[in-house]
Amino acid sequence: MRSPIRRLRAAFDERMQAWLRRRQGIDRDPVLLHGRRIYILPTRLGIAYAVMVFAMVMGGLNYNNNLGLGLALLLASIGLVAMHHCHGTLSGLALRLLATDSAFAGQDVHFRLLLENRSRASRPRIEVALESAAGGPVDVPASGSAPAELAVPAIRRGRVELARFVLATQHPLGLFRAWAVVHPGYSAIAWPRPAEPGLAPPGVATDTGGAQDHARGDDDFTGLKPYQAGDSLRRIAWKAYARGRGLHTKQYAGTDVVSHVFDWDSLPGLDVEARLARLCRWVLDAHQRGEAFGLRLPGTVIEANIGTAHYERCLTTLALFELRDASD
Amino acid sequence: MTEPKSTGLRGLDGVLVALAVAVAGHVTHLPPWITLLLVAAGAWRWTAYRRGWPLPPMWLRVTVAVAATVAVFASYRTLSGIEAGTAFLVLMAGVKLLETRSGRDLTVVTFICFFLLYAALLRDQQLRQLPWVLAGALLVTGALMRVHAGAAGDSLREVLRRTAVLMLQAAPLALALFLLFPRLPGPFWGIAAGQSARTGLNDEMTPGDVSDLSVSGEAAFRVRFTGAVPPPAQRYWRGPVLHEFDGRSWRRTRGQAFPQQEVVAAGEPVEYQVTLEPHDRNWILALDLATQWPEREAYRSFDFQLLAPRPLTELTTYRLSAHTRYRAGTSLPESLRRKDLQLPPEGNPRAVSLGRRLAAQHPQDPQAIANAMLRMFHEQPYVYTLEPPKLADNAVDEFLFETRKGFCEHYASAFTFVMRAAGVPARVVTGYQGGELNPIGGYLLVRQSDAHAWSEIWLGARGWVRMDPTAAVAPERIERGLIGSMGADEPVPGRLRQDSEIWFQASLAWDAANDFWNERIVRFNAASQLQLLERLGVDEPDWRTLGLGMTASVAAFFVALSIYLAWRYREPPKDWPARLHSVVARRLRRRGIEQHPAEGPVAFLDRAASACPDLALEIVAIRDVYAALRYGPLPTETELRRLKHLVNRLRP
Repeated sequence: MRSPIRRLRAAFDERMQAWLRRRQGIDRDPVLLHGRRIYILPTRLGIAYAVMVFAMVMGGLNYNNNLGLGLALLLASIGLVAMHHCHGTLSGLALRLLATDSAFAGQDVHFRLLLENRSRASRPRIEVALESAAGGPVDVPASGSAPAELAVPAIRRGRVELARFVLATQHPLGLFRAWAVVHPGYSAIAWPRPAEPGLAPPGVATDTGGAQDHARGDDDFTGLKPYQAGDSLRRIAWKAYARGRGLHTKQYAGTDVVSHVFDWDSLPGLDVEARLARLCRWVLDAHQRGEAFGLRLPGTVIEANIGTAHYERCLTTLALFELRDASD
Repeated sequence: MTEPKSTGLRGLDGVLVALAVAVAGHVTHLPPWITLLLVAAGAWRWTAYRRGWPLPPMWLRVTVAVAATVAVFASYRTLSGIEAGTAFLVLMAGVKLLETRSGRDLTVVTFICFFLLYAALLRDQQLRQLPWVLAGALLVTGALMRVHAGAAGDSLREVLRRTAVLMLQAAPLALALFLLFPRLPGPFWGIAAGQSARTGLNDEMTPGDVSDLSVSGEAAFRVRFTGAVPPPAQRYWRGPVLHEFDGRSWRRTRGQAFPQQEVVAAGEPVEYQVTLEPHDRNWILALDLATQWPEREAYRSFDFQLLAPRPLTELTTYRLSAHTRYRAGTSLPESLRRKDLQLPPEGNPRAVSLGRRLAAQHPQDPQAIANAMLRMFHEQPYVYTLEPPKLADNAVDEFLFETRKGFCEHYASAFTFVMRAAGVPARVVTGYQGGELNPIGGYLLVRQSDAHAWSEIWLGARGWVRMDPTAAVAPERIERGLIGSMGADEPVPGRLRQDSEIWFQASLAWDAANDFWNERIVRFNAASQLQLLERLGVDEPDWRTLGLGMTASVAAFFVALSIYLAWRYREPPKDWPARLHSVVARRLRRRGIEQHPAEGPVAFLDRAASACPDLALEIVAIRDVYAALRYGPLPTETELRRLKHLVNRLRP
């Protein structure tokens, strides 16, 4: 049973959040935190500090003690300057989504953010957190960047939205807390919760035909191919680009594999989620054993292949299967 | 329960250092056991932190806190007031150390440190406190930052540097607030009385006991004369007048009222302004004899002492007038005559008989009796020394006829005693004599070591007349001050001052700085604020102008600080290729070609080249040089110059 004050406060917070969302709208990546969207209030310690300084000012005035008054006013000024520094620490910080780490339902998906400081001064003690709860603070160096991570629990398979999170700092004296609320519209994929291990997949479909030709590992360099959107930046041949030969991607070749194709229709009599869980388990196991595998779902066929990218593609297909909001 | 060596206690070392510095300013005022307890608590907490020891259990901490409170109450009989309050704060800091487990606890300790600095200023506002207070504020704020600054707080030097920057940035605002913050005309709650024993005159004089006043070089008061400075022999500053003698000690009259006595002044008045250091008594040390004073702030007693209605607990200034030629008292009331003839019923028989003999030799001629006494002091081997032998029961006899060594108190006491024995009404006057002119500050400094005692006798038609027997023994004491009158082996304050010219000048400058501090900073008040505004060109300033000025300066400060912060967080300059590319992008925008956020420079320039066939050649050239500079090996100066040239030629 929650007390009326807490209920009132929760209602107030909800109103505030809704208002903030209306005021700021959904942020587009990358997000630049300009001064007007940074809020600042004294912390509890800051209020205690203010009370202390107020008592000192009153005492100094009453006893006509100019030095005491002077000290009190110096402390007040330090507090006010610290307030500006606190605001400045956050103002102008930029952040972008680096990557999302998918996870199975029941675990946490991770949003990996990059806090970018485009200024000459460092920005210490930036807390990135889902709600007002404090996360581990991050120090962002001058003209540099620092990674931060947000873990969001995934309750069921599908897209996990990161509706809002908070960046805050109490730098430098802990007397004030400046914060900004970001509505990033980021989402990550939660894969289906895999079924209990044990039930082996139906017989191996030895479909070794074209698999090896397309299977690309990353062991040996085999040559250059023209750049295609989506190729890793790490594999771009920058030297060739500088010579004016256009963008090329370095090619590597992998090793031979055996392949399975896991079929939706091989699991009759189960409901959708149970089938997905079973398929998920098979994919997981096959990937761990290093075997090539494919997936056949109603409306989707994924050729057998190996590698992390393929594995995640299969799981993502399972995660978004027959979800209404699957398409953006 | 074990204490994890977590980041929660980041900054414990800084807080301990800050606490040590904050308490250092109080150590001389604290009972030793409190300091010892705090040191023990600090040492224990540090060791416990390093070794990972558990904190004491709740019941123990509560017991310690209660015991500390009781102990402070037992030794001070109160918990309020500066002294007891400070002791209590120090103990609470120690107790708090026992339970620090988070940054918040550490912050509470830093707040206690701030209060300790403040308490020291309530007790004493002298200039010499300033370095300690500033260093303390820096260290305590630094400790606070270290607790809250994260990894930036790891380097002690870096924390101190950042704190110093913060304080320097806060200084202009603090100064503006200090100058413009409206002051109150009077206190709105009572002033804590009788805080501490300060050096100063006593209302009791016991020749033969050791006096520590004479060795204190501290300032008693400073005087600025409107006209000429009176010569040293006329600089008698009147303090308490002592009437009662019990054979050992002289005391003021208690609970006895005497009629006011009339004063007839002659000659020109000496006008001056005196600024008295706080001494917790209501005495105003005024030049003899005070003839004019602010009616509401002072009054003159029947024995011509100037008194304030309240003890002087803070630096106080009075504008006064004095006459050095006067007739004090036109008639002597019988009650006062009896009082000033009173002698203890027994004791000092030889002095009493000396008085009777003198009275017999010079009947009805008190002046002649006094002269005979002064002649005796002058001609017989009396010695002026600050280290006289101790005296026993018949102190006056012993001094007059055996030891013959003493300072002003002994001579004034013996003289007054013999005069009374001879039937001449006499009393001891204490106060200060002399003073040292400070040419830098243009004022006269009177130190505690200038404390003096003399005698006053009733000469009928001439009223009360000052007699200074010390002048008969050591005239140089009056003319040249204490230091000039002492032998080389006497313990005199400031001897070094006189011996070394540099030291002498330095001490003059230091005292002038103190005087400036007192006059301009400590005594800065509502009137000075209005004067300041007038000097700044405000017509008829009042509190509204003051408030307006304060608001305006705070606003101006915030704007300046925001501009500074924007500058501090500005983006570093782009490298040359990037800068040149943004020039090209700006020029192409005029042709309606915008670079998309996700478009790289090369792709953008490709698109631009196909969109503007007339500029295609130039754009492609720029693209190639740009790509070579950006992605190739180390860019050369010639390539960069070529790019600049190409960009400058591009005029869409």
